[in-house]
Amino acid sequence: MAADNYTGSAVCKTCHADVWFNFYKNPHYKSIASGDQPPDRTGCEGCHGPGKAHVEARGGKTTIPRAFSLMGPKEVLDTCLNCHARDFSKGNIRRSQHSLADVVCTNCHSIHKSPAAKFLLAKKQAELCYGCHADVRAQFSMPFKHRVSEGFMACTDCHNPHGSFAPTWGMADGQSMVERAEGDQEPCLKCHADKRGPFAYEHPPVRVEGCGVCHMPHGSTNAKLLVRPVVFTLCLRCHNGADGFGTRNNGIPKLTNTHNMLDPRYQRCTLCHVRIHGSNSDGYFFR
Amino acid sequence: MGFTPITPKTLLTGCLLLAHAALAQQPVTPTPDQAGSPRGENTADYNVTDSFETGYRFAIVNGSVGTYRSDVNYGDGIRLLSGNLSVNSRDGHGRWFDQIVLTTIGLGNDPYQSVTLRVEKNKLYRYDLLWRLDDYFNPGLPVAGGLHLMDTSRHMQDHNLTLLPQSKIQFHMGYSRNTQDGPALSTVQLCLNGSLYCGTAGNEFPVFENVRTQQNEFRLGADVDLAGFKLTLLHTWSFFKDDSGYQENGVESGDNPSTGVTLNQFQRSAPYRGASPYWLGNLNRSGKTLAVNGRITYLDGKGNFLLNENAFGGTPLGAQNQQVQVGGDASRPQLTGDLSISVFPTSSLTLVNNTSVDSTRIDGTSDYAQFNLAAETADFVSFRYLGLRTVANAMDLHYRAKRWLSLYGGYHYSERRIEDIEDYAIHGPFSGAMYQQSNTQQTGLLGARIKPLKAMTINLESEAGHANHPFTPVSDRNYIALGGRFEYRVKKLTLGAAYKENYNNNSVTLSSYSSHARNYSANAVWTPRDWFTLDASYSKLHLDSLSGVVFFAGVDAPSPLAGNQIYISNIHAANLVARFVVSKRVDLYAGYTITMDTGDGSGSAAPILAPVQTFPLNYQSPLARVSIRLREKLRWNAGWQYYNYHEQFGLESFYQGYHANTGYTSVTWAF
Repeated sequence: MAADNYTGSAVCKTCHADVWFNFYKNPHYKSIASGDQPPDRTGCEGCHGPGKAHVEARGGKTTIPRAFSLMGPKEVLDTCLNCHARDFSKGNIRRSQHSLADVVCTNCHSIHKSPAAKFLLAKKQAELCYGCHADVRAQFSMPFKHRVSEGFMACTDCHNPHGSFAPTWGMADGQSMVERAEGDQEPCLKCHADKRGPFAYEHPPVRVEGCGVCHMPHGSTNAKLLVRPVVFTLCLRCHNGADGFGTRNNGIPKLTNTHNMLDPRYQRCTLCHVRIHGSNSDGYFFR
Repeated sequence: MGFTPITPKTLLTGCLLLAHAALAQQPVTPTPDQAGSPRGENTADYNVTDSFETGYRFAIVNGSVGTYRSDVNYGDGIRLLSGNLSVNSRDGHGRWFDQIVLTTIGLGNDPYQSVTLRVEKNKLYRYDLLWRLDDYFNPGLPVAGGLHLMDTSRHMQDHNLTLLPQSKIQFHMGYSRNTQDGPALSTVQLCLNGSLYCGTAGNEFPVFENVRTQQNEFRLGADVDLAGFKLTLLHTWSFFKDDSGYQENGVESGDNPSTGVTLNQFQRSAPYRGASPYWLGNLNRSGKTLAVNGRITYLDGKGNFLLNENAFGGTPLGAQNQQVQVGGDASRPQLTGDLSISVFPTSSLTLVNNTSVDSTRIDGTSDYAQFNLAAETADFVSFRYLGLRTVANAMDLHYRAKRWLSLYGGYHYSERRIEDIEDYAIHGPFSGAMYQQSNTQQTGLLGARIKPLKAMTINLESEAGHANHPFTPVSDRNYIALGGRFEYRVKKLTLGAAYKENYNNNSVTLSSYSSHARNYSANAVWTPRDWFTLDASYSKLHLDSLSGVVFFAGVDAPSPLAGNQIYISNIHAANLVARFVVSKRVDLYAGYTITMDTGDGSGSAAPILAPVQTFPLNYQSPLARVSIRLREKLRWNAGWQYYNYHEQFGLESFYQGYHANTGYTSVTWAF
């Protein structure tokens, strides 16, 4: 596009004073303040394209080269990625579940009228995500939950809405865009550092399948976000000796005959197996 | 079919109305209404907006206070319920900074407190702080037999500093600290009956634990933008230590007093020191028709530990004194690599291929020595190796067929190999055999986005996969996931509905595991007038699963039993919120949330499991709030929120329901 088709943001503000009025608070204003960016990467025209035709036509959306309200999802994505594609956090944006479903930048970000303190989000983060993920909103309203609705945590503590690298647990299937803690481990370990290890005796499913094999991370009606209300029913799901499973292919060890499951003592598995996430001292997680 | 995309004005107006209402916010505090002008005030070359809410909150709890503290945990006292401050340079050329953004929640004594701070000077630096405090209370709910109580505080802080944030070479520095402290009540199983191994006569004792863990992490990195490539380098030094101590003084008869074993004195020290240095390199190039992102990381996790445990107790054989000493180390080196190639052959077609490799090795030795000063000793070394290697490739395609129709599809393949060695020796050479297995998973995806009307969007998604050798009986083997989403959005009304269904069938020779989850949700936001907003949502989360179980049961000689375990969770969750603005001065807000599990897990092939298959409960929380603008920079707020948790199952005849009235009154003020 010829350089003389750019008019500069000063011309835009003549008519769009409402947008310009607070634009100095916008992160994109940095491109104007720096004064060293080429016309196609600064101010209004950095995103909307050269404005000469729009000015000469005295307005009109169709005369704006990139009028976001007229653009399809992929065009919106491409436009934003002109500058943001190489951000490390967006390295997987093309393959993210959001992009595949045509949920693109302007679905979550409000460039000119963001009420959020950071990242130009169209709403407060949890509200934004709840807008589509109502089932997750319900989980965060359950009796046991991570404190997202309370504002203590954010969805992005565990997820990268721009897409994440393949997880190192499970079968590297990353549909839910779960972010990883540094060290390529589950994001749970960002906070629950005591579960990180390494331990001499890892509970194998923790490393192989991930925390989700026993816990529901958003919220649950069960204590400790467990997938079952009673801990021994949780353990028995796997510890049934069924052939072909476990580290030795011959079944995950079933309980020995000393475990009388009629006795409440033995129904409280973690009463003895206290270090169930991993232990350095005992292969049965006793200490 | 015609297509007119939703206009940004409509979208933004709707978003702003909803954002202002903050409707789905569950707790009654902090008050979302801000004091002062949202545009702020100009001071010299800066614009300042600020709003702080200070007040008193109270909580009156009846029933199981422990469960309340586990679920809600708000208490009494004066708080800085929220704080918001932003200072922006009006020309982007501030002397020391161009932007300060500060937000706080719950400072004072709330159980969940956080502070975020950003200070930024264009071109020169950007500093971000996130500080959080979480008061955790675990009352020892029946899952742990009421013994594992924890009353700890977790403090977390993250500092990140970027130098030259707008230049082609940027430098990053960071520091994170995570500590957990507080008292806890744990348990220990000991063999004080003169035998090395505990049989049915074993006993478990409560012991006090002084939780003290700490993680410190330091980061140093750089971004280099050169010749169309962006190189990201990061090195992290992470250190973790656990100095939790355990002790018990006094005569404890334990969980099995029939053994006649008592624990009179117990002390355990188990210091652990871990380090996890981490390296990351990422190279990105993005062009008009091709984008490539490659990444490689290496983590070298190591841990050294020592345990010294002394127990003194009484047994039918007389007084016993047992000592256990364990020392050793563990390591977990992990290497990962990713290569993602995106191709855009036409403006409507995107192809992305991603290959990921992960190799994790976990091994370590544990030198275990047990001394029973009255009878026996044991001394041996254990060794454990667990190796995981996963290679995955994913091919995804996105095609925009029409302006109103987009399609996507994908094929994902992953192969995981697991190796395992477990062995122990009485201080001799190891000879354990290695066990190997591999699992191959193949998944196909198909989805579509349809936009038949300007305001309507329909998303359809499906996934089907098969794994030939899953690791556990509950892992995915033959699974199908189906989903759909509908949204209708106009200026004053948003309607949404979603459906998700997941099947997994993991059949094996001994037993079978199957699960079937169905989630339905619907939500509506209606803003007929500027002064009135109504938000309602409903979700039904249904899960039924069938697991084959094998266990022993019997008083004197437990005999093996096999059967099925059925678990049905049938959760209905609803949320209703209304907001009124009266005379532009008074904000009224009322809401109601309910989560109800109707259970219905009756019937089982294993009768012993029947009482633990259905868990009907009810959790309700109505709330109301009023916020009145007294002056331009001063608001008065008051609110009430009621919590009612009611279990209908009563595990081990222990009902842990509660009801609580919580409330607050506060003023929101601006400078």
